[in-house]
Amino acid sequence: MISFDPSEDQKLMQQSAEQFAKVLLRPKMRELEKARGVPEDVRRQAHELGLGLVALPEAVGGAGLGMTTAVLLEEEIAWGDPAAAFGFGGPGAMGFALLELATTEQAKALLEPFTADGGHARFGAVAWGEKKSPEGRDGLATVATKEAAGWKLDGEKAYVTSADRADTFVVFAQVDPSKGWEGVGAFVVKKGTPGLTVKERKTTLGLDIASFGGLTLDGVKVTDGDRLAGGKDFLGSTIRFFAKQALLVAARAVGLSRAAFETTRDYCDARRAFGKPIGHFQAVAFTLADRAMDVEAARALVWRAAWAWDGGVGENEALKRTGWAVSFALEAAMRCGDDGVQLHGGSGFVRDYPVEKFMRDAKQLQLCALTAEQADQLAAAIELGRPVDPALVLPSPTSQNTFI
Amino acid sequence: MTIEFQLTARQQETREAIRGLAKNVIRPQSLSWDRNSGIPEEFLLKLTMLASSMGSGLALTQGVRGAGEDGPKDPTKKSTAHVNTSIASEEMAWGDAALPLCLPGPGLGGPPVRASGTTEQKERFFGIFKDYSNGLRWGAYALTEPGAGSDVAGIRTSCRKDGKHWVLNGRKCYITNGAKASWNVVFATIDPALGRAGHRAFVVEKGTPGFSVGRLEEKMGLRASETAELVFEECRVPEENLLGGEERYVSKEGFMTAMKTFDSTRPLVASMAIGIGRAAYEYARDFVKENYSLARHTPRYAQIAERLARTGRGLEAARAVTWRAAWLADEGKENAKEASICKAMAGQAAIRACIEAIEICGAEGTISEDHQLLEKWFRDIKVYDIFEGTGQIQRIVISKRLLTDLKSF
Repeated sequence: MISFDPSEDQKLMQQSAEQFAKVLLRPKMRELEKARGVPEDVRRQAHELGLGLVALPEAVGGAGLGMTTAVLLEEEIAWGDPAAAFGFGGPGAMGFALLELATTEQAKALLEPFTADGGHARFGAVAWGEKKSPEGRDGLATVATKEAAGWKLDGEKAYVTSADRADTFVVFAQVDPSKGWEGVGAFVVKKGTPGLTVKERKTTLGLDIASFGGLTLDGVKVTDGDRLAGGKDFLGSTIRFFAKQALLVAARAVGLSRAAFETTRDYCDARRAFGKPIGHFQAVAFTLADRAMDVEAARALVWRAAWAWDGGVGENEALKRTGWAVSFALEAAMRCGDDGVQLHGGSGFVRDYPVEKFMRDAKQLQLCALTAEQADQLAAAIELGRPVDPALVLPSPTSQNTFI
Repeated sequence: MTIEFQLTARQQETREAIRGLAKNVIRPQSLSWDRNSGIPEEFLLKLTMLASSMGSGLALTQGVRGAGEDGPKDPTKKSTAHVNTSIASEEMAWGDAALPLCLPGPGLGGPPVRASGTTEQKERFFGIFKDYSNGLRWGAYALTEPGAGSDVAGIRTSCRKDGKHWVLNGRKCYITNGAKASWNVVFATIDPALGRAGHRAFVVEKGTPGFSVGRLEEKMGLRASETAELVFEECRVPEENLLGGEERYVSKEGFMTAMKTFDSTRPLVASMAIGIGRAAYEYARDFVKENYSLARHTPRYAQIAERLARTGRGLEAARAVTWRAAWLADEGKENAKEASICKAMAGQAAIRACIEAIEICGAEGTISEDHQLLEKWFRDIKVYDIFEGTGQIQRIVISKRLLTDLKSF
């Protein structure tokens, strides 16, 4: 039976997230942006709301509330500040990486510190991205070499969210260069391991609360037990990890779209020109109507994709719907940000108004986890009944790099 | 409740049944109906009998059955009528774009009679659809005029009281099933200067003196559906055919009768558009599967995949907002904005799908001997962004619900 009505529990959680966003995040949005991070007290409150581990199953220490609950909360938080969730403590993308790629024991042990007291002060990170593709083959340029006791990692990683904040990394590296994308593995690397250097934090167009950086791995030694040894189909699990992370980003895009739309609508109600509110001019009103449609449609697609993950309709169905939701929501957010600034006119361009931040954040969001193009390739492959091509779907210098 | 996208077992059964019918029975006849500008009555009768044997869940017997009923008064008693109808309409339109419009029953005339008619009127005008053994019957909805399309407040067809009759003069155009209808809901004005307050709605029965059918339109698409011009020359309509009775028109209700229809029919029309768009999308997808070499090194693969994904997600987005608008109606909640959103999105997404489908198939796609369905859908779909309110009108409706005190542009 079709229903667009969240459960009573979900509504309660949604309301507290909304309250948190309204009272704490939105008023502090510029302050946090200037500080380039989320202050400790705000992170603690976010931690108490249980954000970050909402969708992870209880078996690995998560709240077990599913993707549907997670996207509801992500939208509310992103409405307050689209960047905030990137600056909260927690495992970040490492949560889904461990869920999909690690054994239950590995995941549980690595996620435990994030649920404990003081979890808000910890960050996890995923080191996937690289600036250059390897010569003459598919896959990653960072290489893992088997040694008598464990593995040795060498390479340069880029586009890593929370690189300089994380105490634990999941590092992806080529285990078998002859196998291309099929030959990739993942390893847990702790901060401070000899040979691991965290590179300087980058300044970005948007979402600068997040700390985007890179790693240098120079003969970093890890044990066999540090290799993530979850399911057999490592590539399939990797795609699932990216898809789930991308769906959370899409939910943030919905929150951003709504925020940009609402502030712009209110501005068009109040701002007068030629003797009436500018919203009473058709060119303005129709633009607003189009963006309202974007918000509604993006949300419905994100909900349906999240429901597909929770509802047991099969992985392909969930991947396809995620592809559709991600590409639509990301593009919708960019349109909402762009038109938001446009309808504000010159005021939109100055930082007294929030909308220019929404526009910058929207562009940055489009380059997190999976891009719209990658998500489209994912959905289309499933629709065409073809294997998902990692060269087209996974972020890389040859498809498009993204921040993970 | 909880967020849920799983159809009920009954909805799934119904969908599968119509899907099978659409694929095996409707689609194979679609082209001949288009060429012959009509669907044989024997087929419509068979379909109607089949529908009633399958139960009302099929939502076929009256075309728009369910739509237009007032929302449930008791909030604990939820209906699924609008969602059911949306699901059924999409499947049927997938089979043939014109078929949902050709089905016997009150059609778009149903919702205003249901919403505004007196008990006596409902019995009288709906009663004729209970038994088709003496032939099929239709109802229709006549609002548009040569000089008043989107601006429905500007209608000029006049009405004046004369004894126990109302006398109508004027013309209506682009009326679906207007010629074959047993009755038309006709909107007229007692005085154009009064604007909406001057509007009156009548049920004008076939054979009423002074009422005649003008020309039947030759159209770009939906050629199997009848589109008629109606002429009223000193047409004498009995006073008991004034919809809702005199007291109904003390306020602005007249115009509201016209508009009320749309909140429930827009999701339905949106679903039909999605069905046609989906037909084109699936055709293109299968064409690509069969005809293209899809190795990764073919640069065209990624491009085609991107086009397909854009089309697919556009339709899915439209379906999601359409279901939401229908669900709101079932919940008895206000859905005017959402109904306009889904209509606007579905019209555009489906047109996009039909255009892209031809493009994806390349030159092959325009050859009408081999791909007649593709070119037919391309012709059929355009009007879905026009009738039941153009995309622009939907944006006006949406705008008024977004902005404070916006009365008109």
